[in-house]
Amino acid sequence: MGNCFKSSNNDDISLLRGNDSHDSALEPTPFVEPPPPYRTQPELQNRMPIYHPSPGVSRTATQLTEDEQIKIAQRLGLINHLPTGKYDGTNRKAKECVICMNEFCFGEQLRFLPCLHTYHKECIDDWLMRSFTCPSCMEPVDAALLTTYQTS
Amino acid sequence: MAGLPRRIIKETQRLMAEPVAGITAIPDEQNARYFHVVVAGPSQSPYEGGLFKLELFLPEEYPMSAPKVRFMTKIYHPNIDKLGRICLDILKDKWSPALQIRTVLLSIQALLSAPNPDDPLDNSVAEHWKTNEKSAIDQARQWTQLHARANNVNSH
Repeated sequence: MGNCFKSSNNDDISLLRGNDSHDSALEPTPFVEPPPPYRTQPELQNRMPIYHPSPGVSRTATQLTEDEQIKIAQRLGLINHLPTGKYDGTNRKAKECVICMNEFCFGEQLRFLPCLHTYHKECIDDWLMRSFTCPSCMEPVDAALLTTYQTS
Repeated sequence: MAGLPRRIIKETQRLMAEPVAGITAIPDEQNARYFHVVVAGPSQSPYEGGLFKLELFLPEEYPMSAPKVRFMTKIYHPNIDKLGRICLDILKDKWSPALQIRTVLLSIQALLSAPNPDDPLDNSVAEHWKTNEKSAIDQARQWTQLHARANNVNSH
């Protein structure tokens, strides 16, 4: 998989072993011991996704206000309208994801923005949840998409 | 070093291999997210001849959020306050994960060449700049001589 920030655990492991990014996709997921029952709650809390309703604000789902929940749900919907695909080596223009600075590997999930900039799906989705702009050209990802979605 | 994202390692390696002219950025021995930065005052600016120490820190969220950068050397500049905080859009709302340590430091170098008193961080300095630019530039030059002389940098 991509060496993006959400998979930082995988990243650490592959770095310790000195592998490069091409191998990490082939590696089995690191074995995680099932937590003993009394640890279930804290473990779950640690794994709860963190949302960023506005730049610089980090909250878990339970801490979000109703407005923030709506905003995040809308954003998730918009992001899901953007095309995705697997890297097959034919994308001649982009070889590297500028967010994680790793080269695209065969089979990795990519997301294509309307401005034709391409990123790892995981990397760009993380950013789009914070700011609905393309990191490379700073254009709003798709104003038209936004209006149709909100009025329909 | 545990948990250091690959991107930070790559950026550090590239900064070392191809340094930016007039800028050094060296990672701290204890903390690979903390960089000791020295920016040379650009020629034809009142900061010419000065070496300005900065600290740069990559927060946990980097590159989803901007590096934190601060001048450690005193500087007379309308967009830099007494605490060394910098008013620069890419460090705030215009941050993008496509930017890097390198581009941030280049922008700071450019800010020294082109102070912008219309978007001030230090109001008194900006006022000085707007009412009497020549006198403000003189003052900036004096501060450079006083605080940013090459031999002062290591003594902090």
